Amino acid sequence: MAEVRPDEISAILRKQLSGFESETDIYDVGTVLQVGDGIARVYGLSKVMMSELVEFPNDVFGMVLNLDEDSVGCVLFGESTKIKEGDTVKRTKRVASMPVGESMLGRVITPLGVPVDGKGAISSEKFLPIERKALGVIQRQPVKEPLQTGITAIDAMIPIGRGQRELIIGDRQTGKTAVAVDTIINQKYTHTEEAKELGIKPVYCIYVAVGQKSSTVAQVVAKLQEHDAMEYTTVIAATANEPTPLQFIAPYAGATLGEFFRDNGKHALVVYDDLSKQAVAYRELSLLLRRPPGREAYPGDVFYLHSRLLERASKLSEEMGGGSLTALPIIETQQGDVSAYIPTNVISITDGQIYLESNLFNAGVRPAINVGISVSRVGGNAQIKAMKKVAGSLKLDLAQYRELEAFAKFGSDLDKATQKTLAKGARLVELLKQGQYAPVPVERQVVSIYLGTNGYLDNIAVHDVKRFEKEILEFIEVKNNKIFEAIKKEKQLSDSVIADIKKAADEFLAVFK
Amino acid sequence: MNESKVSNRYANSLLSSASEEGKLDSIAKDMELIYSTIKANSSLGKALSSPIVRSQIKVSILEEIFKKKVSKETMDFLKFVVEKNREDLLENIAKKFLDLRDQKLGVVNVDVRSAVELSETQKKKLRENFEKLLNKKVRFSFVIDESVIGGFIAKAGDTVYDASLSHQLEILKKQFLKGGASLN
Repeated sequence: MAEVRPDEISAILRKQLSGFESETDIYDVGTVLQVGDGIARVYGLSKVMMSELVEFPNDVFGMVLNLDEDSVGCVLFGESTKIKEGDTVKRTKRVASMPVGESMLGRVITPLGVPVDGKGAISSEKFLPIERKALGVIQRQPVKEPLQTGITAIDAMIPIGRGQRELIIGDRQTGKTAVAVDTIINQKYTHTEEAKELGIKPVYCIYVAVGQKSSTVAQVVAKLQEHDAMEYTTVIAATANEPTPLQFIAPYAGATLGEFFRDNGKHALVVYDDLSKQAVAYRELSLLLRRPPGREAYPGDVFYLHSRLLERASKLSEEMGGGSLTALPIIETQQGDVSAYIPTNVISITDGQIYLESNLFNAGVRPAINVGISVSRVGGNAQIKAMKKVAGSLKLDLAQYRELEAFAKFGSDLDKATQKTLAKGARLVELLKQGQYAPVPVERQVVSIYLGTNGYLDNIAVHDVKRFEKEILEFIEVKNNKIFEAIKKEKQLSDSVIADIKKAADEFLAVFK
Repeated sequence: MNESKVSNRYANSLLSSASEEGKLDSIAKDMELIYSTIKANSSLGKALSSPIVRSQIKVSILEEIFKKKVSKETMDFLKFVVEKNREDLLENIAKKFLDLRDQKLGVVNVDVRSAVELSETQKKKLRENFEKLLNKKVRFSFVIDESVIGGFIAKAGDTVYDASLSHQLEILKKQFLKGGASLN
């Protein structure tokens, strides 16, 4: 075994020491008056800034949230048991910030940028404050590029554009996270060479887990890895066992990382899963800081909590580089009550919502999207022309179906026209069902919907619809792949393509059993 | 929270009336005495803040302690405070008064901690440098603290001027640890 000589060690030590300068260190301090429940009241720190990071003993950091007349209220990012009354608190002279950069991709980090996936330190030189002001009117432009979720029902009827804020809302166990995770997985396509040729820019994804079980987060990460989606994704985890302040700042940290991509002319997607837990965390902090409670005991500024976060989603103007930050906030409702405080707030802030219902979910309609009350206020401009063309009649057919749905049980007593509408509606609902982790490319979505709305499914049994769809798409891919290529390239449904689809469908119907 | 507001108000009015009458120095000396007495004798503070002890008794206690040592104006002020049932804040008021006086006169208190007793020339040099740095008159209080190891730690208000060996070692330790392997 090789020996280490003492003089070698002293040489290394000398080298390390050579850069060390001894100077008088000047810093501002305060004294802990009271500590508990993740909150510390500090006397002194007279020049401290709002939301500045302060350093407690034992490497615990805190953030200033209250500037009172003769004390400062701090929230702690570490264990409050490590701090005692009379401890010295130091200013760091920088507001709470996190490291950003491309090196964050593929990693699982805490809201302060510390990796928790055991893959070693992250090297990034750039720090950005966690709380940043949203951009003004001049720097923005309307949403115009589509963000394909890969979920047919959403891409057809509730389209999402890059830079939009689309709320995903529903009870527990209705597949909210599944919609978000599928969307992330579907962005894999945007990172391929093919997408580059077609002028589709890559979308970097950030998944922010607030107050969730660590096991759930691990499961999401595993699923993303399984589908090679972690390469362009960062997971920011503030799980249920983390201190409340971290859960409160986690979404802002996600927005900061997303803004880094946006400001560099790239496109980013942030999923906030979920904001109701963040509101609960903020309520806890506010009550401990003795801010007066309001409705449902939330503090008065809980609207601002979410509005300032979601305002940071934006599509930049061309002069600013044309980047975008799309936000998919998730809200969990209790027993379908969307008129509770937090759901109404977030609904009013976002550019539309995807409403998931537990009875649809239990009836086997998955994704359990209620297309009747789900809307997208701006995404329509971002849809490709081909999709716009077929989605119009899909929406109409489904609306008519819903109107008559209640009569479905009368069966053959109904007149021919009603029966026909019902039959078509049932087949379209079946067509929009989709498995998890199985996003569908837009050109296939267009063909499926075209077939559904133009009566090609009418003579097929409802339970065969999915099989028919799968087989005809395979048939087209093998025999007539130029249909898909044409939709992908031209982004519209020209008459010649329609004729091709018709021809292929007739051919296939003749052999389908 | 309210307490500090109240003590501030009493201290402020005492300060302005004292400076109006030109008796700031004598009253300030009295307040220093009162502050140190209450601080050193917790039983006095307890008696003053106790709601069971009647006001007359509190006044006579204060009279007996301070009558011969403080000026008439200060004694009147003490009585006034007791009359208004704010005697429990007396310590705070005295402290606030001294702070406000320092602010008014442009004096800063600097606490210096060092491992060994500083020599007179060192103290003089410190004074010169701090007065130049803070642009104010400096009142020093020196404390000997062996944990400083070497150098000194000076605290002016909330700002610490740390030129101690212990702090340098702390920084050095951090610097060594920074490059090291961590669990994550």
